[in-house]
Amino acid sequence: MNGMLIFTRSAVKMQNINYITGLSWRYSPKTQIVAIDPDKKDSTVQILSEDFFSARNPQISYDGNFMLFTAQRKPNDPWQIWEMNLRNFTSRQVISSNENCIDPAYLPGDKLVFSKLDLNDTCKGGYSLYTCQLDGSSIHRITFNPHSYFASSLLKDGRILTISRQVYPDNGVQKLMVLRPDGTKCDIFYELTEGSTLLSQATETANGKLIFIEKTQSLATGGSLVSIRYNRPLHSRDNLSSGIVGEFLSVSKQISGKLIVSYRKSDADRYALYEFDPEKKILGNVIYENSGYDILESVVVEKQEIPKKLPSEVDTAVKTGQLLCQDINVIKDQSQSRSIASQLSRIEVLGIDSILGVVKAEQDGSFYLKIIADKPFRIKTIDSNGKLIQGLSDWIWLRPNERRGCIGCHNDHELAPQNLVPIAVKKLPVSLPIHVMKIVEKKISSE
Amino acid sequence: MGVLIALGLLIYFPGRKMAREHVNTKTAVSDHPLLCSKCHLYTSENALVSKLLNEDYYSPFNLAISKDGSRLYVVAQEANSLLVVDVEKQQIINKIKVGNQPHTVILSKNGQKAYVSNQWSDNVSVVDLIAAKVVDTLKTGNGPAGLSLSADGQFLYVVNSYASTISLIDLKSGEELKRFTTGNNPTGVNLSPDEKTLLITSRRAIIAPYGEPVVSELTEIDERTQRVTNRHNIESAYMMENVAFTPAGDLAIVSLNRPKNLVPSIQVEQGWMMNYGIAIVEQKKNGRVIQLLLDEPNAFYPDPFGIAITPDGKKAFVSSSGVNCISVVNIDSIRSLISKSTTEELNSLSNNLGISDHYISKRITTGSDPKGLVISHDGKRLYVAEQLEDKIAIINSETFDKIGSIDLNGPKRITVNRTGRRLFNNSGHTFQNQFSCYTCHPDMHEDGLVYNMAAKDMGRNLTNTQSLREIHHTPPYKWNGKNQTVYKQDGIRFSTVLTRTEQFNYPDLDAITAYILTGIQYPPNLQFNPSGVLTKSQQQGKKIFERKTDNYGAAIPVNNRCITCHNPPYYTNLKLADVGTLAASDDSTQFDTPHLNNIYASAPYLHDGRAATLEEIWTKYGQTDKHGKVNDLTKIQLNDLIDFLKSLRAPRYEKKSTK
Amino acid sequence: MDKIIRKFTMRKYLRYYSVMLGSVILMFVVSCGNRTPHSNSDQRNKSATDNSEQEAVENYHAGSDLAGDTKPLPIYGNWHNFTTKDGLPSDKAYCVRIAGARVLVGTHDGLAVYEKGKWTTYTTKDGLPHNGVVSIDVSAVTGDVWIGTLGGLSCWSGGKFETFNQLNSGLPNDLIYCVICDQKDVWVATAGGAGHYDTYSKEWEIFTEKNAPMHEPWTYGVSAGAGKIYIAAWGGGVIEYTSKSKQFKDYTDPDGEMEIDLLPDDGIVHDVTTATSWANGYLWVSTYFGLSRYDGTHWKGFFDHDCGLASNFINFVRAKGSVVFVCTDRGLSCTNGRSWVTYKKNDNNKDGMAVVLNYGRADDDTKNKSTREIPLSPSISHNFTIGVDADGDKLWVATSQGVSCGQLLK
Repeated sequence: MNGMLIFTRSAVKMQNINYITGLSWRYSPKTQIVAIDPDKKDSTVQILSEDFFSARNPQISYDGNFMLFTAQRKPNDPWQIWEMNLRNFTSRQVISSNENCIDPAYLPGDKLVFSKLDLNDTCKGGYSLYTCQLDGSSIHRITFNPHSYFASSLLKDGRILTISRQVYPDNGVQKLMVLRPDGTKCDIFYELTEGSTLLSQATETANGKLIFIEKTQSLATGGSLVSIRYNRPLHSRDNLSSGIVGEFLSVSKQISGKLIVSYRKSDADRYALYEFDPEKKILGNVIYENSGYDILESVVVEKQEIPKKLPSEVDTAVKTGQLLCQDINVIKDQSQSRSIASQLSRIEVLGIDSILGVVKAEQDGSFYLKIIADKPFRIKTIDSNGKLIQGLSDWIWLRPNERRGCIGCHNDHELAPQNLVPIAVKKLPVSLPIHVMKIVEKKISSE
Repeated sequence: MGVLIALGLLIYFPGRKMAREHVNTKTAVSDHPLLCSKCHLYTSENALVSKLLNEDYYSPFNLAISKDGSRLYVVAQEANSLLVVDVEKQQIINKIKVGNQPHTVILSKNGQKAYVSNQWSDNVSVVDLIAAKVVDTLKTGNGPAGLSLSADGQFLYVVNSYASTISLIDLKSGEELKRFTTGNNPTGVNLSPDEKTLLITSRRAIIAPYGEPVVSELTEIDERTQRVTNRHNIESAYMMENVAFTPAGDLAIVSLNRPKNLVPSIQVEQGWMMNYGIAIVEQKKNGRVIQLLLDEPNAFYPDPFGIAITPDGKKAFVSSSGVNCISVVNIDSIRSLISKSTTEELNSLSNNLGISDHYISKRITTGSDPKGLVISHDGKRLYVAEQLEDKIAIINSETFDKIGSIDLNGPKRITVNRTGRRLFNNSGHTFQNQFSCYTCHPDMHEDGLVYNMAAKDMGRNLTNTQSLREIHHTPPYKWNGKNQTVYKQDGIRFSTVLTRTEQFNYPDLDAITAYILTGIQYPPNLQFNPSGVLTKSQQQGKKIFERKTDNYGAAIPVNNRCITCHNPPYYTNLKLADVGTLAASDDSTQFDTPHLNNIYASAPYLHDGRAATLEEIWTKYGQTDKHGKVNDLTKIQLNDLIDFLKSLRAPRYEKKSTK
Repeated sequence: MDKIIRKFTMRKYLRYYSVMLGSVILMFVVSCGNRTPHSNSDQRNKSATDNSEQEAVENYHAGSDLAGDTKPLPIYGNWHNFTTKDGLPSDKAYCVRIAGARVLVGTHDGLAVYEKGKWTTYTTKDGLPHNGVVSIDVSAVTGDVWIGTLGGLSCWSGGKFETFNQLNSGLPNDLIYCVICDQKDVWVATAGGAGHYDTYSKEWEIFTEKNAPMHEPWTYGVSAGAGKIYIAAWGGGVIEYTSKSKQFKDYTDPDGEMEIDLLPDDGIVHDVTTATSWANGYLWVSTYFGLSRYDGTHWKGFFDHDCGLASNFINFVRAKGSVVFVCTDRGLSCTNGRSWVTYKKNDNNKDGMAVVLNYGRADDDTKNKSTREIPLSPSISHNFTIGVDADGDKLWVATSQGVSCGQLLK
């Protein structure tokens, strides 16, 4: 199969999708995973997902011999994760769940990450991220906040890059989040502007770019081809398709450095596969088109560099994580920071449905918390009079034994810490919430 | 036959089981390949084995260029030579033997002589470039490194890197006229274009109690008066390797590291371990010192070393040794940034990982471990000494393309040791390339900083970086002796809590261990014990070190004698001991007895670096007499003891002296 | 038995004086502060005073010629006094050193630097180990300023203070009475012995009664000259150390503990020495019982009763060329060994005088002695002088009531 081009096609014309809940996100009925030999002019299409009612999201293993995908056997089955041996085209089910399990991505060490719908979850999220062995064992949940996570891919540095959107208490702006495969150090990677959405998994190129499809409201079903630099993702957005009329639906890379995009010129057209030169920002030749199908996504079967296999600091014997903030007075807008520096004195830590505690910041603005693990919380800063200074932060969680640092509140993610000893770490951490044991018990029983 | 097979099986299976247990014990893992040679051969110190396994590389370190650009003069650090390279033919035309571990080369004003500092010989070789031979040797202070001529070319400034001084030598008489104290562990020196000001960089920070800001000194000398006129405090920075002036003389640029040793080591993300940048020193009255990072939010450029500025003053090239690249700095962009920013704004930029986008034009990939840089006088070519590649890279300084490479024709075989050294010097095995082994162990030694390794809770277990010189025979490792071998030290826990990326694969772990155990040597102790003959004070100190009774004639318990725990030749009994210095913030433990050779070069002292000097071990922190019986000593005796400790040096130098 | 008793007596005696000198730095200002109260009664016209000073000097010079001394002692007038009102951190000045365009003054409350008409103070906040700055010397080689304080030694270089103390270095003791620079070497006289610091090797040596011919570890002065170091060892006279051979030689008072010099010029006048200074082939030694001079062969004693010396209680001595400046509790004396000029302040006002004493040509020619008094307005700021330095046409004196600067009168 080496060199074969695998893609998903849908006879049903692309509809506008509910990007907010993600319940139907990217998963339309009767989609097929097929393969062609792109080097052969009249290559016949080989249907790989014949045994399935609908299949999507093919992901090739690092050795190029296997393919993870998401599929429904029957029309009303939940979507599940399968793996196909590309040498003999046999498939086996990796995950078996009553809920939708979608968007798998290979992890080093014979593991995968996927999104699973958790409808009755105490975290009030949508799709959470899970990891497991390729044999389906050792399933671990790795995200614990009221967000939905989709379309994960793996960065070369070993972290998971995933599309995330807050769903509780209200819907937030979509972001690309990054986290370690053990669920630690989850942080923002790229933030969209209000009204924009991400349509595709991001693909990392050899020259350090992340390329994905970003949809603005003006486009019907597709979006623009956007690149950001791995080294500075928050401030390097480049619309590669700015001079091109039409819409993009997905993007994947080839070893040559060229991209394969799913593109259509107008509503009247179907999405087809084209080459794209990211350096020259030019749409190339069509690779595959079929007037009966929209081509949703594609992937080339080839051996790939294995991302770093990151070690894990998670220790499930420990029931808490630790959070250090260097200075709550450091905020994104430094001019504002100066004016409020002397006023901030306390932080309020809020869980999903309760206040976990109010903690006085040290004189240097630092605080050091030991918080029950795997529970979402947000932080707001208040002055000595109880007046709100900085509103609620994004949802955070800490994995068991995770230790995390932040420089300030809502801080600029491009700021490295000052080299100083925060007063807070000269003392023991403040444990939150006060009745830790009770919550530990609750957590254990819920698992 | 059957008996033989049975016998073989009887030996094989238990033998294999024993070997497995042995390897598991040594490596602290159960899947390290069971191949005896990987450890026992690679780390062998047998002369014959070592000769067979290793090669004599050149390891180009610094270089100079003739005015017409036809010759490069390359310091070959491991070959103790100055290589004269014909640039056109791209070949070595002369190999001139100089002193040990040469560091820097500069040329005389007329280009007929080269001065080469020999860091391990405490002298400077004066090389007649026409005759291609050393014609004079100038005595210097300890560890000569950076060199600069005076404005009139009559004097030579020599930075004494180990002694933290700079010598002024009269080139006519060859005599040292004066010696100034500099910052801690200085290396680079450069004379301003108007020939009035010398700036001297320092690598180590000024030793201060943990928690005090990290500050390093940039020493300024008025070349006309030959006096120190300023000692700039470069805050939150250290490892300032080199300095260069813009041709207009308005700015000096210094390479530096910005450590995060005071911050708990809880993550690598967002630059929480180490940052790298440059200091811009405005050359005017009340000029500011601005620090800007070379790093980016998700990419780091460790161990900046060389700096070269184009003759038009538009670009500066900085070699990032730890990531095999040259960063191209647009100086006009920096000027613009400085001119439109207030001092406060500039200060806030010193930790900004994104600002480098404004002034970094390009990152040029090089061979392994780029060090010294030189630009041809016409400004068209940049030459890069690729230390662990044995090559000189040639880069078009306008297009930034690598246009050639001069192979110094070192050994083609890359030995296990060499691989280990490359791994040691490269940051590829840390998350986002944030630091290399070399970063905290510069010169395979230690960086003089104390880190908050944040054991169970943050703020606990402050750790003084330990030297890696000649540690083969001094296990266990780590301050609390918890790692029985380097294999364990650099194993999975190392990657989990420190590098936070994929652990070394076993071939790499074997290579880096082999290098650490056999490839790192102590410099000779030329300052305190050049010949093996102890001074009177050192002899007195030795008696105190070995004494069995105190000044009042009372017997000192065996466990409280210096010599008991610090026995030669490595001055450690390889055991754990309680010397009464456990801090409230330390986990309860005893301390690994440290080895003491070249201890003079390892300040600060004690496991958490609380003692700034050797004296403080016993004056401020030895009041309970738990760390040896000392409180009966007079101040003279304590000085003698310390003089003796400073005289300790590697066993191989003792062997040479005995011969 | 006699010997033992004598030794015991000597030690007891020395301890008595050592305690006395150990506290004198802090006591002298207090004890002397009341001795010369400021007086505002005298408001004489300054220019008139200048004229009279100049006139008197001219007379003196004429007198010198008559006495046959072709190189008269310099006389300083037009005194300008500085106190806290002028920017000094304290009126209690311990030492003064001229360093090019700057004048460095050690005071009880920090280091004061006079430059371009302004005083700047440096204290522990700036990095000084202690605010009591007792001794200052400037390295002629590097220009670095070495500062002896009551709490450690400091090297002030390039605007930064590097501190040595008895805990962090080989410094003998934190109580430093004197510091000098001799090429690459720095010497200190401390309460715990004399210390030698090699700025090249950064190594310390300590000399006390344990390894040098001293009776006690206390040392109060040190100076260098002609390859030798001269340590004023409390109760031990002068210890001469030859740098090259590393050999010691001690000079003690042949009269032992006697407060009077029984046999004139038989040696150093007393073992309780406070300072040494070497210039032009002469070693000058100050004691609390008179002044001594040594030419390498012979000793000569000077006392207030037989020469122009202001007082036998001498705090400090500094030789500059052929002239030696002697700081006493009753004024500042200058001599070349033959002639004397002593600056004294009146008890009841700011004025005072320079008392000029000339002798005939021969050493024993006491018959041709001539004395003149040159009025000074103002005079030095206090008679208790403890530090002095001269350079070019300026003479600076540290006193218990501020610092005085005199101008050479031509």
